[in-house]
Amino acid sequence: MAGLSRLITGRARPGGPLGTTGLVVLVGLVVVLAFGQQYVGSVLVLAFTYAIVTTGMAVQIGFSQQIAFSQSVFMGLGAYGAALLNTHLNLPTLAAAPIVMLGSGLLALVLGSVVTRASGLALAVATIMLPLIATGYVSSAGYLGGSVGMPLAGNLWQASSPDLIAAGNGVITVIALGLAVFVASRILNSDVGLELYALGVDERTAAAMGISTPRRKLELFVLGSMFASLGGAVYAGTQLFVPATLVGSAAELSLLIMLFVGGRRSIIGAVVGALAVEYVSGASEWVSVNILLVEGALITVVLLVDPEGLAGIAGTLRARLRAWLRARVSGLVEVPGAAVGATVGATVAASAGAAVGTAGAAGTGHLRVTDWERAGTAGPAVPGDIGVPLLECSGVTKDYGGLHVLDAVTLTLPARGRYGLCGPNGAGKSTLLGVIGGTVAPSAGRVLLGGADVTGLPPQQRFYLGMSRTFQAVHLITGRTVLDNVAVSCLRSHGSSIAAGIARSRLDEARDKAAEALDYLGMRALMGRDVSSLTLESQRMVEFARAIAPRPRLLLLDEPAAGLSEPQRDRLSGVLHALGEVTCVLLVEHDLGLVAQITERIFVLDYGRLVFEGSPAEFNDSAVVNSLLIGQ
Amino acid sequence: MMKFGNLVVAGIVTGSIYAVFAVCVAVWYRVSNILNLAVGDFAMTGALGVDYLSRVENWPLPLSILATLAAIAAFGYCYDRVVLSLAQDRLRRHEGIVVTFFFTFALSFFIEGIAQILFGTNVHAAPALWPGNSLGLGGGLNIERAGILVLACAVISGGMFALYIRYTLSGKAIEASGENYLGARIVGIDTRQYRRSIFVITAVLAGIFGIVESPITGYTYISGAVISLTGFIAAAYGGFRNPARALVAGLAIGILEALLGGYVSAEYGDTVMYAILAALVLARPRAMGFESAVSN
Repeated sequence: MAGLSRLITGRARPGGPLGTTGLVVLVGLVVVLAFGQQYVGSVLVLAFTYAIVTTGMAVQIGFSQQIAFSQSVFMGLGAYGAALLNTHLNLPTLAAAPIVMLGSGLLALVLGSVVTRASGLALAVATIMLPLIATGYVSSAGYLGGSVGMPLAGNLWQASSPDLIAAGNGVITVIALGLAVFVASRILNSDVGLELYALGVDERTAAAMGISTPRRKLELFVLGSMFASLGGAVYAGTQLFVPATLVGSAAELSLLIMLFVGGRRSIIGAVVGALAVEYVSGASEWVSVNILLVEGALITVVLLVDPEGLAGIAGTLRARLRAWLRARVSGLVEVPGAAVGATVGATVAASAGAAVGTAGAAGTGHLRVTDWERAGTAGPAVPGDIGVPLLECSGVTKDYGGLHVLDAVTLTLPARGRYGLCGPNGAGKSTLLGVIGGTVAPSAGRVLLGGADVTGLPPQQRFYLGMSRTFQAVHLITGRTVLDNVAVSCLRSHGSSIAAGIARSRLDEARDKAAEALDYLGMRALMGRDVSSLTLESQRMVEFARAIAPRPRLLLLDEPAAGLSEPQRDRLSGVLHALGEVTCVLLVEHDLGLVAQITERIFVLDYGRLVFEGSPAEFNDSAVVNSLLIGQ
Repeated sequence: MMKFGNLVVAGIVTGSIYAVFAVCVAVWYRVSNILNLAVGDFAMTGALGVDYLSRVENWPLPLSILATLAAIAAFGYCYDRVVLSLAQDRLRRHEGIVVTFFFTFALSFFIEGIAQILFGTNVHAAPALWPGNSLGLGGGLNIERAGILVLACAVISGGMFALYIRYTLSGKAIEASGENYLGARIVGIDTRQYRRSIFVITAVLAGIFGIVESPITGYTYISGAVISLTGFIAAAYGGFRNPARALVAGLAIGILEALLGGYVSAEYGDTVMYAILAALVLARPRAMGFESAVSN
């Protein structure tokens, strides 16, 4: 089964980290060496300098959607830092660069541990103060040259002739950019990259999938600041002057313009954006005088055409061209891609009966779950016997103001089996699931998992302990494939740092695991599709696959059957029957027939209190249940 | 004590300007889900436009004012018709707050670029509408005449907004489209119409404030950015959706700025203020109303 995911979606990527870096460095070197002595050359070196900063922003702001307005501050820190070290300690600017990067990283660590506690707009508003504060400081700090700026003498590359200096400066700038691009694209293509993308789309879902969101946010802040300070040091060493305007909201905004013009989620886009904006602004006298007008018009037009900027436009064009070529060619020769598809199709057809769910397929699934489970012994261990309760909720209470949503709910689930949670609308079912899952903090009471108190643990920690869940409303990672959506819950990079993503990626491992889960559910054909293009019922099934893929000890399902078709319901029921043999499943469901059919024990909540607990037969006969749920 | 009183009075005047811009940002965000970062630039256009027409072109003052406001309104209307309708109605709508944020931000650059060409880079101000020395309020307190006009405008426009939203059907419709854009459209509220009219109204209102206030501070072509930023920050403390809280936040920021400038240091006053504002967001994000904006 290994390598299955690659077979389906693993087309050799043209934009792999090495390819991207090679392209940037090659083009950069050619440009710098060819035009180094001319005016255009100096404009391009400046653009490459900004590109170092925007590359970090593409990771932090574009890809992970952590809008922090702090780049110009750290770029200024890098530039002023390099200038100070060069002027007062006679340190070569090149040697100063790693020092200022380290310094910025440390400062960002301190600052970020406060700032990154905020999410979304709060983060943006809190960090927009940073350039304002920094401008106030810089413009009145005498030793930095006040509101003018600070000159320095040390070029990045020391040489005898101005031509050699220009060439050396240019080459070092390009190499620094190449490094930045390599690091950034390695991260984005790794398992950590998938974590970051998930974090950007939906922080809460990311946490429920085990992603340590506070840590990742802090790491992103530090990473962005180190890239920015590298850009700053290069700026100082190539321009030999650090203007006070390098720091501030205007500088911040022009960096953002570069990123968004180029394409916020693309590394190449970030580089191209910096080049385009800098090139345009240096292109003529009129443009550089009226740069505000030009930038305003430029970004409006680019974003109107494609919110993903120039990279998005290029991507669309490439797709169109490919489609056009395929249409032209398909009549003559068979396209390689189609051939692969056919082979895969042949292997799948026999076993899974493709993605179309039938009652027969549910039967097959029932048999094959044991294979799938046996293959998954590497997953979270299942300690404890049937005798030890897996989940214990004791006296769980939740008040919102004066409203008791949950009132001293106590329930116990063993290590295996299928359990249902029913109740009328507003009975507190989803809140109870939230308390168990860690997204809702209870006002009183405790939650124990395998005997250990997890009441205060965040969702991602509960995930490590073997808890996995789906949501009432579908929470998928839009913009990624079905395979990646499922792979998010199979990642094993949670404990490792963002820097580990540069060194190695276990994304393929996670994708293989995800592919197995999808295959088991008969959804192999959907693997390569973008989740946004799926129907609601398929999206629900993807979410279900994501929940079972890590082979949890406790599976929490919030209305898994809502919106499913009849055959899919049957398949779900078959799968849950099989899963209940090896794990504990708790599902909230409105379809009482389905609950009675699937589960072996049912709990009923009403006004936050547990009013019934019993077998499906007792459930069907209970007067309480009938009056409450059926209205008799 | 007198110094304190005077600082507070000055703070209330600048604060009321921030408050009005914050309200403009918040009200429009409710209807359109777009943050208007160009609102300050309309104020700048008002001030410098009137100055240009009356001083350079020698137009009579009332005509200059009318012409400038008409130009602002026309520009706002065209911008909405062309750019915003393309960005929000035709193309991919659910791009989220970040991309739409960039449209008004680009608009701000664009207006500043045009202002630079038309009005140059020097500090100018519209002629004072109520010329004369500052007035004594008794007890040594002083207030500039223009400040009184600003306060009057703030009270009138704020009051009209409040009455409009509370007591008219279209005001309710605006509230509804702020709560749920799609839901409002389903029940027959033309949210685009409201987006357009509120945008034009807030632009003109900003222009009026620029004209009235400019004799106090003077404007250059980039003055708008600072006003927008402060309005944006004040609106942020109202969760971007709550005009009343935005108003209070705007006033508070104005007073804080004046007091810090007077007591701490003229040089570092703003720096300290921004640090305080950042600390507030971080310490109590929920209480500051950020959760509601985030969940959107």
